[in-house]
Amino acid sequence: MMEQPRELVVEAPRAWDRPVVTVPVLVCISVVGGQFPSFSAAANIWTLGTGGALIWLGLGNRVPRRPAPRRVDRAAGWWLLPITVFGVFEGATFVMSVGDEFPTFSRLADPLLEDPMVRSAAWFAWLAAFWGLVRR
Amino acid sequence: MMRMLAIGGFLLALALFALLEVLSRREGSRIPSLGVVCAYVMRYEVGPVPVGRIGLFGFWWWLGWHFLAR
Repeated sequence: MMEQPRELVVEAPRAWDRPVVTVPVLVCISVVGGQFPSFSAAANIWTLGTGGALIWLGLGNRVPRRPAPRRVDRAAGWWLLPITVFGVFEGATFVMSVGDEFPTFSRLADPLLEDPMVRSAAWFAWLAAFWGLVRR
Repeated sequence: MMRMLAIGGFLLALALFALLEVLSRREGSRIPSLGVVCAYVMRYEVGPVPVGRIGLFGFWWWLGWHFLAR
């Protein structure tokens, strides 16, 4: 006779684990983060603090995760195409190191990220993707 | 000229990311979404150590620090 589990544990959804709660929280963190200029101590602390907290959540069992696939189709290899194109250009611009004549991606992004609105939007994109990874 | 080449290359890469994500969300698509690929990578473990998870979290943390704090 097969052994049956003594009890079935069904995790109840947490009240805070809904978009109506998480999105405003991420927006608030992003708006604050967008006010800190590059190379400031506050920007470093805010980035390392929020990222560290998300990693702490993601490595523990504190947040329910979506089931991960056991295998993926070979068509997943298509994702190597954009990664390779990006890698080739980033590598070439980094190695040649000729500044604005052949700029790296981060050198192109820096002037855009000086605007607090754009910086806050970038913060939100980074945090939302991070939260998505934590839930995976 | 070289500057435009770099901008064009990065825009091409970003457009390819977007195109693949759109294609992956079509009905019956064989291409998995980027989220599914990330979830698959994060399954990788060496013994009890979730290497895939640590690696992807670490990469994303560094990326945010690089662009938003440096």
